[in-house]
Amino acid sequence: MRLFITIIILVSVPSYGDFSDNLRVSLDGSARLNKNIAADNTSRIYALGLDTHKVFSSTYGDVGYMVGQLYLTKLSNQTPFSSLFNSPDDKQFVIREAHLNYTAGPQWLPNIRLGHFTLPFGLEGSIDTNGRLLDYYHGKNLGTKLDWGLGFNKVLSQVEYEFSYTMGGKNEPKTVDSSYVFSGRIGSLSHYDFIIGLSFLDAKIDNIQRKRFAIDWQYYWQTWGFLGEIAFGKDDKLQKEWQEEKYSLLELNKTSINEQLKLYGQYIFTDREGESKNQQLINIGVSYQLDAKLELSLSSRQQLNTPESGKKQNLVRLQLRYRY
Amino acid sequence: MKIILILTLLLFSLQDAHADAYCSLRDPVAQIQQLYPQKTTQLSIVKTVDSSTRKLVKLALPSNDLHFSELGQHTLYVAMKNTETLGYVHVRAEQSKWGLVEIIWALDKDLKIKDFTFQRCRSPQKKLLDNEYFKNVFIGKSYTELKTLLSSDGITANNILLDKAKDAPELASVVLRCALKTLLITDILWGEELKKFNP
Repeated sequence: MRLFITIIILVSVPSYGDFSDNLRVSLDGSARLNKNIAADNTSRIYALGLDTHKVFSSTYGDVGYMVGQLYLTKLSNQTPFSSLFNSPDDKQFVIREAHLNYTAGPQWLPNIRLGHFTLPFGLEGSIDTNGRLLDYYHGKNLGTKLDWGLGFNKVLSQVEYEFSYTMGGKNEPKTVDSSYVFSGRIGSLSHYDFIIGLSFLDAKIDNIQRKRFAIDWQYYWQTWGFLGEIAFGKDDKLQKEWQEEKYSLLELNKTSINEQLKLYGQYIFTDREGESKNQQLINIGVSYQLDAKLELSLSSRQQLNTPESGKKQNLVRLQLRYRY
Repeated sequence: MKIILILTLLLFSLQDAHADAYCSLRDPVAQIQQLYPQKTTQLSIVKTVDSSTRKLVKLALPSNDLHFSELGQHTLYVAMKNTETLGYVHVRAEQSKWGLVEIIWALDKDLKIKDFTFQRCRSPQKKLLDNEYFKNVFIGKSYTELKTLLSSDGITANNILLDKAKDAPELASVVLRCALKTLLITDILWGEELKKFNP
């Protein structure tokens, strides 16, 4: 049935003139090689999909827009693998962003977002990392990066905000074991050189209750950027057993003047109550945009301190991405 | 088999797919309001800047080129007060020694500069130019009139503009090149369609 609906939609797109107005479509393919030196494992992830953006308009102006990102993703010897997959060599259709944002309300009314979107929290809420090696660890810290639900957002003269209620089903538009996510971020305008934001999250995902507060900032000086996120909160993995958690990320990045070359270094600190040692990680990454379509990225993650398991994380990743 | 079928359909459904353009308004509703305070809504018109557009820019403005991020699909916004057209808004990026400078241009219905504001500019010279004294050189001017402010090298601004730019000559030249490309590309790609908003 789902296949049938997909076919009907795809076939109808080129012939449906109004829908193709103000429609942007990119074919997006990537191949990622992961060398997990600590686990002595090499894996690959291939993704091919469509990235679409459509503005809906009437004769009286724009009504809103839609973002749709559907990817066929194939794993090869990937361990550990995301909960979206069933085995280290599985392949699945993965929906990244897929939402409508209604923007035609009166001045006082927020825009209304409906669908599958990035949780409005911290740095990830204002920096798009989908399909990139660069990451701000939403999934690891909050339980998921994207979720299905409803959000309210607006850009005012001095601040912008987004608040959402989502179902906690992650890739599926449903609640699982009473899952839910309340999250929100309010911050200064995201196109300025200095951006500061405050976020909160109250969620139950995968039977883990999470509460978080965070402050994030971005400061850009010429071609340099200094970014950070500090979050405090607690997790309840068992009933009534709250464990406090502190998390911070600092990033220094540098972009070439033609924006083709980007370098970044991240320091990540995580301290969880009940664990004898904190976790300190360093990420170093570089990406080079060969032209408007082709991008090559390389990143390395190293754990600074030895964890209880005795094995420090040591991961090198290489990605080639082509957008047409 | 199912996957192959779907992917084949995905590929055939692509007609004019292009890489994403970098620069666009971060929030059209709020940012157009700054340039047209009386606007009630905006209408988007998306067009593709491709290699033929690039050639036309190079022909009209020798020594200039479009940054790779400037190729792809771009949006021109029609600022409206109910059904009345107030003017147009377009964002373009220009390379500078401080990275890309993104400028939001407000154009009147005759494609003359009405106003502009920096969306992203990480130059310390920005505060020297973000004022009416400098902007007034641009306001009310068409592509042909602004082109007279370009020096013979086709890249830098001449003394008429630099006299107004105080200690920010490099950024003044960036703003001028961005203005010229904005007016030129708007006319090339959207000119015909915009006639219906200015009968």
